[in-house]
Amino acid sequence: MSASSKRVAFIGAAVTAAVLYPAAAHAYVGPGAGFAVVGSLAVVFITFFLALGSLISWPFRALTRKLRVRKLRGPSQIKRAIVLGLDGLDPVLAKRFMQEGKLPHFAKLAEDGSFRMLETACPSMSPVAWSTFATGVDASRHNIFDFLGRDEKSYLPILSSTRITNPERSFRLGRYRIPIGKPSIRLMRKSRTFWSVLDDCYIPCHILRVPITFPPEKLRNGVVLSAMCVPDLRGTQGSFTYFTTDREKAGSYTGGTLVFVEREGNVVEGELPGPPSPLTEEHEVLTVPFVAEIDDFSETVTFDFGGNEVTLGESEYSDWLPLEFNAGLGVKVKGLVRIRVQKISPEFELYVTPINIDPDSPAMPISEPSMFSQYLAKLQGSYATLGLAEDTWALNERMIDELAFLEQTYAIHREREKMFMNSLAKNRNGLTVAVFDATDRIQHMFLRYLDKDHPSNRDKDTEIHSEAIEDLYVRMDVLLKRVLEHVDDETLLLVISDHGFKQFKRGVNLNTWALENGYMAGKTDATAGGGGGGDGEAAACDFGSYCAPGEGTSAIGEYLSGVDWSKTKVYQLGLSGIYINRKGREAQGIVTSDEYRAIKKELKEKLEGLRDPDTGEVVITSVYDAEEVMDGPYAGNAPDLIIGYNVGYRASWDAAVGKSSVSVVEDNVKSWSGDHCIDYRLVPGVLFTNRKVEAERPGLIDIGPSILDLFGVRVPDYMRGRPIYSGRESEGTGGDE
Amino acid sequence: MFGGSSIKIDKELLEKVKKFAKLAGYSSPEEFVTHALEKEIAKLEESDSEEEIKEKLKGLGYIS
Repeated sequence: MSASSKRVAFIGAAVTAAVLYPAAAHAYVGPGAGFAVVGSLAVVFITFFLALGSLISWPFRALTRKLRVRKLRGPSQIKRAIVLGLDGLDPVLAKRFMQEGKLPHFAKLAEDGSFRMLETACPSMSPVAWSTFATGVDASRHNIFDFLGRDEKSYLPILSSTRITNPERSFRLGRYRIPIGKPSIRLMRKSRTFWSVLDDCYIPCHILRVPITFPPEKLRNGVVLSAMCVPDLRGTQGSFTYFTTDREKAGSYTGGTLVFVEREGNVVEGELPGPPSPLTEEHEVLTVPFVAEIDDFSETVTFDFGGNEVTLGESEYSDWLPLEFNAGLGVKVKGLVRIRVQKISPEFELYVTPINIDPDSPAMPISEPSMFSQYLAKLQGSYATLGLAEDTWALNERMIDELAFLEQTYAIHREREKMFMNSLAKNRNGLTVAVFDATDRIQHMFLRYLDKDHPSNRDKDTEIHSEAIEDLYVRMDVLLKRVLEHVDDETLLLVISDHGFKQFKRGVNLNTWALENGYMAGKTDATAGGGGGGDGEAAACDFGSYCAPGEGTSAIGEYLSGVDWSKTKVYQLGLSGIYINRKGREAQGIVTSDEYRAIKKELKEKLEGLRDPDTGEVVITSVYDAEEVMDGPYAGNAPDLIIGYNVGYRASWDAAVGKSSVSVVEDNVKSWSGDHCIDYRLVPGVLFTNRKVEAERPGLIDIGPSILDLFGVRVPDYMRGRPIYSGRESEGTGGDE
Repeated sequence: MFGGSSIKIDKELLEKVKKFAKLAGYSSPEEFVTHALEKEIAKLEESDSEEEIKEKLKGLGYIS
């Protein structure tokens, strides 16, 4: 089937699905009905003439296309390429489970083709690594260095991948303020994806859930469904809601909101907080009501949840429930949640997932073409759209348990499998990429089960889910089996991960280290800043748990509040590195250009080989000077020094949000017990492929160029990766081997 | 072209943009020009408030 006929088939399927899907019928008789009839006729005429025009111009367009493709493309060695992305699949664990005979399909693929370690990006975290995969360039050329960047004016963190800004102009209508225009959503990942290069050659591409593709790019001949960093309906990266009658649960919970409700007889009523109103100045929170009727005899709860009737037993999830948040003036914002009854009595407790954007009526652009998310919803039912959809914070905060987390994660995984299989069946002459997140999220939350001495095991189960990791890898083997059914001699198959996984047992706080070593100072009086470099009123020691001994040192609060910038040379924010408080760059910088290189050298010497005071282990194996290892046009946005933590360590929870702690190194006791934000050389990903790899040291950066090369498309000069099947090696992702 | 709009630029300057975009590692001259403009605009733009930032980052698994 040709690319154009594929496209027609795809659109046809979408239209058919839309027509067959039952929708409520609305009768309208009133003013404007006549205009509606004329309007409808006009649409019919316009459509007819467009179709006629398209038919007449077809030979010319086909010729232009042929000439263009001939110019851009040589002979192709493959008809299709399939990339199965398994986020975080670890080569050491994969090898172990293969040797134990638990992954027969991975083992067969390794035997018939290749199984290699895949060099990850520097720094080794998913937004950076998948961006490197997508573009074939390193971080200094695609501009994603971490989940977080920082605002040089305010020292506050910023989400590195996307900028969303509301329209600046609006007009008032009674109590409403109506925005003029749409919000601006900009992808901060730069350079160019390799699939857009294929698209130029009319090779159809299905790009499903690849991180850092929000907002999705337009392809003339393919589809994109966005992933990591798509927000929830509240505009957060995913915040759950927990309703309870138990007042003893009072407290502050990261990643979610606790709401107290009352039980009156057998009834509990509540309101789910949703997005802020887009139409009022106050932006008050829109809500959806629910009523829960408890049947103590059958131990079930019957809900009217925003108009959805559902009966659930204890520890049971609902399906996706569509919700409408009414903003007024006929504007409704649509979302999806799943709910789970945690307890029925004596206390009533209800967990509600983050409110996902409804793919059938998306409030933000989550796919290209925009109807693609709707098409999938019609085809397979509702599905999770949130970037980081698996609710790791609900488990970290012990609002849900391990079993609830696994059920949720695998339910999302099954949705993704359906999408992937649908694309594999339809896109037989092009590129299909799908990234699955369960491998990453489950390893983050369950890796502690593989290490009896992990601090995260304290006061938690260490037996019931001890095989969760093995089970995860076995499930991926079953997924691979399904994919292999679509692979023939003319198909290139790549199973890749963006990084591996290691235990995260101890957190490292370099703000605390900087305080103790005179590189950072806190304000010691009541003028300590409340937020970045601002002028808040909170006293220094109120911010955090740390108050260093002796006069003149004080605690640094969240987002570097309480820092005395006039005496601070270095600060830590995010997971990848540290920044120099540089004069002329940072708003209150003090390190001059003459001192800049000297202080970096000094810090590198002191931090490399830093030892854990409690265990004696090396905490930091390498410190990479961004100026030395990166030379792309965005290198200036990188942390000045990228910290390569040793296995077992990572930036501490406090350090990541710019806070100081009691100690430089402390135990990690959260369920989030595995990680990969360490020295990138210690945590490579996997590469399984059905062809022999000739490159000595293949990297993620090489995957895009390799696919282009096999399709007969010239690898653009700006790409740094090199084809791995032809023996030519990449120029590396930075840093020395 | 910038998202559907065109901006006129001196021909000589355009040639330099093309040359240096390639040397610097940009994927296109458009990317180079966009980056240059974004850097200048960032100096003038107001930052988000701390509350807005906290809300946007809420739920990001890697940070508390």
